[in-house]
Amino acid sequence: MVALGGIVFLAPLVLLGLLALPLLWWLLRATPPSPVHIKFPGVQLLLGLFDRDKVSDRTPWWLLLLRLLAMAAAIIAFAEPVINPEESPDREGPLLILFDGGWANAGDWTARLEELEQVLEDAARAGRPTALINLSDAIPEQATLSFRDARELVTGARALEAAAWQPDREGYARWLEAQDVTFDSVWLTDNIAYDDSDLASLLQERGNVQVFASNADPMALRPMRIEEGAFVIDAIARPLDQDRDVTITIFGTAPNGAELRLAEETVQFPATAYFTEARFELPLELRNRVTRAVLSNQSHAAAVVLADDGLRRRKVALIGTSIQEGPQLVDPMFYLRKALEPNVELVEGELSELLLTAPDVLILADAGELSLSDSEKLIAWIEEGGLLVRFAGPRLAASGAGQLVEVPLLPVRLRAGGRNLGGAMTWGDPKQLEPFAESSPFFGLAIPDDVTVSAQVVAQPSPELSERTLASLTDGTPLVTAKSLGEGRVILFHVTANAEWSNLPLSGLFVQMLERLSVVSGGEPLAAELAGRRWLLERELNGYGRLSDPEPMQPVDGERLIDDPVGPDAPPGLYSSGELTAAVNVMSSDSVLESITWPAGLVPIIPGEQEEQALKHWFLLAALVLLLVDVLATLFVSGRLRNMKAAHAATTGLLAMGLFLSADPGQAQDDIDAIRSANDTVLAYVLTGDPAIDRVSHAGLLGLSVILSERTSIEPVEPIGVDIQRDELAFFPLLYWPIIETQRPLTPEAIEKLNRFMATGGTIFFDTRDANLGAGFGSGTANGRALQRLAAELNIPPLEPVPADHVLTRAFYLLQEFPGRWVGPDVWVEISTGTSTEGMTFAAANDGVSPVIIGANDWAAGWAIENDGRPMFTVGRGMNGARQRELAFRFGVNLVMYIMTGNYKSDQVHVPALLERLGE
Amino acid sequence: MSLTTGATLRRDAEHLVGGLPPLLAEANRLASSVILGVHGRRRTGMGENFWQYRQAMPGDDLATVDWRRSGRTDAVFIREREWEAAHTVAIWCDPARSMHFSSHKSLDTKFHRAAVMSLALSVLLSKAGERIAFPATAVGEARTGERHLQRIAATLSSIAPDEEYGEVPKFDQLNAARTVFFSDFLGPEDKVLAPLRTAAERAGVGSIVQILDPTEISFPFDGRVIFESMGGAIEFETLRAKALREEYQERLEKRKDLLTQFARDTGWRFVQHQTSQSPTQLLLWLYMAIGVV
Repeated sequence: MVALGGIVFLAPLVLLGLLALPLLWWLLRATPPSPVHIKFPGVQLLLGLFDRDKVSDRTPWWLLLLRLLAMAAAIIAFAEPVINPEESPDREGPLLILFDGGWANAGDWTARLEELEQVLEDAARAGRPTALINLSDAIPEQATLSFRDARELVTGARALEAAAWQPDREGYARWLEAQDVTFDSVWLTDNIAYDDSDLASLLQERGNVQVFASNADPMALRPMRIEEGAFVIDAIARPLDQDRDVTITIFGTAPNGAELRLAEETVQFPATAYFTEARFELPLELRNRVTRAVLSNQSHAAAVVLADDGLRRRKVALIGTSIQEGPQLVDPMFYLRKALEPNVELVEGELSELLLTAPDVLILADAGELSLSDSEKLIAWIEEGGLLVRFAGPRLAASGAGQLVEVPLLPVRLRAGGRNLGGAMTWGDPKQLEPFAESSPFFGLAIPDDVTVSAQVVAQPSPELSERTLASLTDGTPLVTAKSLGEGRVILFHVTANAEWSNLPLSGLFVQMLERLSVVSGGEPLAAELAGRRWLLERELNGYGRLSDPEPMQPVDGERLIDDPVGPDAPPGLYSSGELTAAVNVMSSDSVLESITWPAGLVPIIPGEQEEQALKHWFLLAALVLLLVDVLATLFVSGRLRNMKAAHAATTGLLAMGLFLSADPGQAQDDIDAIRSANDTVLAYVLTGDPAIDRVSHAGLLGLSVILSERTSIEPVEPIGVDIQRDELAFFPLLYWPIIETQRPLTPEAIEKLNRFMATGGTIFFDTRDANLGAGFGSGTANGRALQRLAAELNIPPLEPVPADHVLTRAFYLLQEFPGRWVGPDVWVEISTGTSTEGMTFAAANDGVSPVIIGANDWAAGWAIENDGRPMFTVGRGMNGARQRELAFRFGVNLVMYIMTGNYKSDQVHVPALLERLGE
Repeated sequence: MSLTTGATLRRDAEHLVGGLPPLLAEANRLASSVILGVHGRRRTGMGENFWQYRQAMPGDDLATVDWRRSGRTDAVFIREREWEAAHTVAIWCDPARSMHFSSHKSLDTKFHRAAVMSLALSVLLSKAGERIAFPATAVGEARTGERHLQRIAATLSSIAPDEEYGEVPKFDQLNAARTVFFSDFLGPEDKVLAPLRTAAERAGVGSIVQILDPTEISFPFDGRVIFESMGGAIEFETLRAKALREEYQERLEKRKDLLTQFARDTGWRFVQHQTSQSPTQLLLWLYMAIGVV
């Protein structure tokens, strides 16, 4: 191979032919344009005449140049130039194939597997002993790397499933370091740096390395957290050169247990950013129902974050002196309990006991002096991140705590005694609340007019007072103050927690304030509680981001869950220990995605971006065009363009050639197709881009068209393939759409076109062609997922399996099952609204024809015929197969009848006859 | 001699070979147009009896006595021999390769045109009782009649060209009263004029018909061309044919002038005919030119 600025010649020796060009120049130059021989009796008269003009006995230079260029183009073409060549592994010796089987590859798993298979096949062809390591597997026990025939590995490779965790490159790097062998390696990577390991360099030490990097742009979500009462989710991705929109959807359980989409938000992901933030202001009730957040358009484990108890219910410890025998309504704890009970886990008891239960928040209502040991424990707890909320009261006012010096457990110094406002013996009126300052966490909360404060403990003026004040009364005296202590905070409400000093606890504002103070729900996951327990995996998050029941496995130590990223020994999912549930997510709250920095001399091959592109045909084409021009030019030079006919022919030929080369061949066909489609009934299928599928679709609809013509008054002409992005759909009553895994997302225009098509009477017949093997409706199979992605964009009504009395079952034949090539699962149509005794009443639109029909039986293959009328595929076995094919055709006839005639067949007219036949 | 009708023509056609019937038919068709047009009246009263008798006079050759006629009476009758002096028309139809040329498939070759013309002329002459000879061919003897016409047709059809350019044959044995020469007269100058002069010395009044293809006059060529004679024996290469047109046409004109001059000198007639022109016109001209009928 010889490289020349990005272009590589596979057969460089041919280029030596270029050396012959000067010779050619000389030859051409010496040879005048070839003469025409003309029989002419008058030649005798010409004898003895001389040419006066001798110029044209040599080929003009520009014609020479033209010919040399053509020649050079041909020579270069045969030297097989290639842009971005893939280095073919034509070496020998053992080959190690590394595969990043983690979540980042799950999004386009099939493509990755195909790549892997390709590499394996290449290795098999080269006969190299091969070893395959899925970096996401647990590190094997045995210490040696064993190389085998690559063919044996293909089956295993096909069965690989994406892991929900990241590949353990560090571990494998250590493991490989211990191997004392040399090998070449091929690494199929997701191109995300998870750790600092330098696997690539290690591989380079052992031999030649080739890296295939995925060009996918995986995004991930960090665990949810709560900031100032709002849900905050960070989306992370690698910086790209363009802004992207990310849509985050929050799911939760409805009261009836069904899963609901609670909120959805689209934020812009700036080009150069590593993460972006989405905030969700959810009502408290909804917030506690959140189960997970999902990043749309990303189908892998890291695009899902699960919520757990840490986000939902906080443990709040209440400490106060309960009045055992007094009226409940004056109990200092009563309103707190009422406010907190629905949303948090409340614990009550002695301080020393409560601290052992590791509460998130501790509320002290009107407590006086604490004992020294208690307050030391309390301070220690706060400094580790606890939140202490205190309420004032007669006892606090009387205790004199914090009046002389500032104590740790009170945010401010207090004045002795309290202050009464608006009582019988006082001058002032009860004070109202000042609107919350912008810096206050309560900012934005509406203050009801009737909330008044009639008594409070008053803070000593001090320099810090204003910054520690979170809320104040209209006269400027603080109502709520706070200060930080270690990692925790101390908050003081200068009124009582009951209605004695103020009617604040009676108002909704009280609950909202508690909420804002993160008393009700916190932001930290259960990290602290993970440690020291053993956790059992309840629901496992698989590599594609779906929850499933896990294989039975040993409980996992909490420390393992905290310290290390998820892995095969601790997959992400929901874990339980006793009553606690903890969510273990793929990403942690400080995760960042970055591309791998490749060592010098290693350039990863990124498919799509640098696909190998052979240039041979372009050069040959150039040579051909040049030669055609040469034909014209030669004619011109030799004066034979005078013959207008020849000139016309030549120019026409050239133009036609040019048109053929430049024009989109489909474009010219469009009008013809449109005319044909408008004049006749045409069944249409969607071109998938896979020629094999398209051929089957065409043959299938052709077979159905033939049957329709034979048996019914519908006489379709030859079916047409439709390019969804480009073609006009208005002509077609039916659009057969075979789903393939690599179905591309639709453009907005195409979506609009399809929606309009369905709204104006067209029917799309989706066929996943896989008989739903392996899963329920549209969820499990690759094609099913492709269909789901596709259908999510479209305006598809609610569906139901074809009911027994649906028009489809009797539009022409009486049918109850709808086999295609497979006999399989239900066919789904638009849900019927309301029934009557005779036949079905559908939604009025489209004359009762469902705009979509979805199935999986690969009907096109069932209908497909060859050009000579023979079936293209085997259907079933023996006579049963023949019967099944017949039924497939009958379903096709019914389908087209149904689409063409709508609810006509459900008319009463036919009911007696139908009843009679049904009764047989 | 009976008229050549369509029926006899068909019958004869079955006996004849190859391209003969079309040739003869074409000639007949051509001839009939002339007969009907100019000499139609002469046909009435024409019969088998071309003989004239007169009483023998002293000095008459005994062999010339028609005994059968004389037997009926006492007088001796002699068959009038004057009619034997009937005109012999010699026609030369140039068979050379150069004549077998046509520039376009819709045009006749020059030879074909010449053959049709000469045959049509023969038909007319034969009807008028003249004798026709094609010197230097199988029908070189002057004869008349239907059979002779057929032989002429066969000969003309089967003629094989051998030389590049034709040369007027010597009219040794013939005492032709009239001669007609069909040729393109494009050969070398000395081979054209000298034989003509010889012929002019021996034969009577002649008509020269130069038959040319339109391209031989217009010379519509350009670019690098190798011109070949029909047999390929002569080649001429040029790099810009267009530049030669004027010179060529000059030479052609000069040849025409030569022939015209020759005709004027000898009292002959000369005409130039293109294969793209109507043959009837030429036939009429020839008929008048010969003026024997």
